[in-house]
Amino acid sequence: MTWIALIFILVWLATFVAGQLLFKKAMDLSSAVGFRSPRTIFALSAGILVMTISFCLNLGLLQRFDLSYLYPFQGSSIIIIAVLAAIILKEKLTPRLIVGTLLIAAGVVLVSMS
Amino acid sequence: MPVNRQSTASAARTLDRPTGFRNPWFQFVLNIIGVVIYELLLKAGASATADSAKTWSWIGINALTSPLTWLAIVVIIVDLVIWLYILRYIPLSIAFPLSRTVDVLVPISCWLILRETISPLRWAGIALVIVGLIIVAKPAAELEERL
Repeated sequence: MTWIALIFILVWLATFVAGQLLFKKAMDLSSAVGFRSPRTIFALSAGILVMTISFCLNLGLLQRFDLSYLYPFQGSSIIIIAVLAAIILKEKLTPRLIVGTLLIAAGVVLVSMS
Repeated sequence: MPVNRQSTASAARTLDRPTGFRNPWFQFVLNIIGVVIYELLLKAGASATADSAKTWSWIGINALTSPLTWLAIVVIIVDLVIWLYILRYIPLSIAFPLSRTVDVLVPISCWLILRETISPLRWAGIALVIVGLIIVAKPAAELEERL
């Protein structure tokens, strides 16, 4: 893997994770202050924007690598999203949830390695 | 199962959790089916148009010349609306790990439908994901209890 591939994979992951967090934030806001609130619309629009960037980068990566090669990186996003949801969105992360999340991530990596 | 619990729930609780087609867990299943479909469409569309000799193709724009990619985009948009709906009811730290059910569904459907072989290591990975999903499903069930 070249340095340029690594950079594109990292940016792809970062935008994907940011998009998920923004989507959840937007939906929390929609319950709290309503769908037409500028804050909800802003979070949703920002989420769609970064997800679109992530989507295009994913297409570029899929043209160069097998889906199975890119999958372990997607597996790692499970852990990153769960941790950031706890830190940024103040979701409750129980030990049980952590163990389950780690097992899923490990399983995703194994599936793509073979 | 949720329907049974629903009937014993108070009137206030009934407002909180939509049932039937609008049940977030039913939508969750639809969302996962959508992900499996668009992942395969995207890979097909991207492969059909691959031209890695050009540097600008890193941003993936040339994959848009394939109709398969556009079909995938339609599925993605529908799936996004479903996903946003799910996020209104389920915390991200539970919904996202559970959404990785696709990681076992794709190889298993390849095995069942396409008769592809699955190595022992891959079966081990599938087993790990399933155990993880069961463990995460417990907090999800407790969440359902609270709703």
